[in-house]
Amino acid sequence: MTRYLLSRLGSALLVTALASIGIFALIRLVPGDPVTVLAGPDATPAARDAIRAQLGLDQPFWSQYVHWLGDLARFDLGPSYKLGGDVGSLIADGALNTVVLTLFALVLAAVGAIVTSTAAVVGDRRWLNSLLSGLNTAAVAVPTFATALVLVLVFAVRFPVLPAGGTPPAGFFAQPDIALQYLLLPGIALALPAWAALTRFLTEALRTQMRQPYVTTARALGIPRRRIVLTQALRNALPSTVTVLGLQLGTLLGGAILVEAVFAWPGLGRLVEQGISARDYPVVQVLLLLSVVVFVVTQLATDVIHAWLDPRVRLNGVS
Amino acid sequence: MTLDVSLEEPLSPVPVGPVPGDLAPERRDSLLHALRHGRGLVGVVLVATVVVLGVLGPLVAPYGPTEQIKGANLLGPGAGHWLGTDELNRDILSRTLYGIRVDLVVVFAAVPVGAAAGVFLGLVTSWWTVTDVIAQRAFDLLLAFPALILGILLTAFLGPGVLTVGVVIVALEIPVFGRLVRTSVRTVREMPFVEASQVVGAGPWWVLRRHVLPNSLEPLTVQLAVSMSVAVFIEGAMSFLGLGVRPPHPSLGSLIKDGVRLLHEAPFFAVGPLAVVVALVLGLLLISQSLAEARRA
Repeated sequence: MTRYLLSRLGSALLVTALASIGIFALIRLVPGDPVTVLAGPDATPAARDAIRAQLGLDQPFWSQYVHWLGDLARFDLGPSYKLGGDVGSLIADGALNTVVLTLFALVLAAVGAIVTSTAAVVGDRRWLNSLLSGLNTAAVAVPTFATALVLVLVFAVRFPVLPAGGTPPAGFFAQPDIALQYLLLPGIALALPAWAALTRFLTEALRTQMRQPYVTTARALGIPRRRIVLTQALRNALPSTVTVLGLQLGTLLGGAILVEAVFAWPGLGRLVEQGISARDYPVVQVLLLLSVVVFVVTQLATDVIHAWLDPRVRLNGVS
Repeated sequence: MTLDVSLEEPLSPVPVGPVPGDLAPERRDSLLHALRHGRGLVGVVLVATVVVLGVLGPLVAPYGPTEQIKGANLLGPGAGHWLGTDELNRDILSRTLYGIRVDLVVVFAAVPVGAAAGVFLGLVTSWWTVTDVIAQRAFDLLLAFPALILGILLTAFLGPGVLTVGVVIVALEIPVFGRLVRTSVRTVREMPFVEASQVVGAGPWWVLRRHVLPNSLEPLTVQLAVSMSVAVFIEGAMSFLGLGVRPPHPSLGSLIKDGVRLLHEAPFFAVGPLAVVVALVLGLLLISQSLAEARRA
């Protein structure tokens, strides 16, 4: 297990290190100069040089990069160029909103998927299967931004029962009931495609389990089908589903950009958009690195959980 | 008389029909069969309908895509304008027909280009350990960026437009197909018939081209259909965020965006473009499902 963990950790660190160099270089290659953005069009060359020196942009590339790594390690990210405020606090504010929304959607999708796929396998009626498969295909075939907008129009405009957008004024933890109202619509819009993918996968995994000899034995012993699914098959079908759940987290973060745009949700997705159009290097490079780190960590975590749930993986060292 | 047969001449395997143990040829028929029946057929019909509408668009569209018609402001669906008109007096049916063409370019040009590049890179690099490690880490790196973040970043370089959407999709598909083909290389090269082929002198190229590629066509075809449906979404999402096709030119994504924005004033605006998107994605999904099912059978 230790050897398996170390090899996974090594490759995760390598990807992160390469990504940090790539991002740092890429951001500096984007056409448009932050000095121009800051100094305005009629600044004198001397004033521009002063701003450039103040931002450290006159230093060589590697020196800037090492400097940045030092800042990252100390969590002292300095002021943003253009968006106003400290980079660290801008990102912390956005991150809280995005993380709450994404986790809420992930829980909705996972719980929904477990309920629908066990219902499909336990019930195993033709009409139920057709209904679930139809819902599933619909959830995949309608784009997220369209679902999000339709949800707003139905539940916030036509029948004003839920807020049309924004984050709860009192924060997420002071009044959980109000916060839930704000989270519900964006959460559902974000969760639907993930729910569909998870349900499809889990149903298939459960069906595979139900064909195993141990299930036949259990049936022969007279244990009801429902109990076999809930106590045996579900537990054996979950490990491989965890891997899919990890991949879905990446999709959810991508979808969060769209959902945040529709629901005026001040999260990281909006920050990336604003940061790139304002050439705010310090904000954008940290955000891009953050998205890579999240991806690498979820991959690592799913591999570790998978290895922990399934001894064959950790013993053979294959995933 | 001198013997002019040179023994240094490398032995090359002679193609003599299917190699014993090679599963590729017989299974290809079952994929075609899946597309001619049931769900697969429905998918093919849906996609073909959208393609025909897009290709014939300029011939059948009653108006130009950006043509403004006097006195036709936000009309509902009617005899003159089957899908109604928008807030700038443009015929929505015509705009939808022209908008399909953007998605056709993205789905049937960008995705195959990205897939071909990914398959090529994956095949070439996965044979040798050093190139394999480098390529796989590079693919990991590309996959680590969520699709839309990659889109926003590339738009900062290239500016918004159809070309940018295409480049984003190519960049997204390369690692997906590169990884997929690598799995095939790893599996197929261990098979006995490949070993037999190598014994009679087949080099890496021969094995990759004649054995690995035919045997990985199935998973690749399924992934191609999935990737095409994802591409429709990415075009929509990018146009929705203002990174795709520039107004006033239509694309399905920007039409849905306008339609849903005006859902109060013109409830039927979004119906046409949304139906086309759903038909296209649904068709591609059905195709991929039926292909995946035929593979397992």
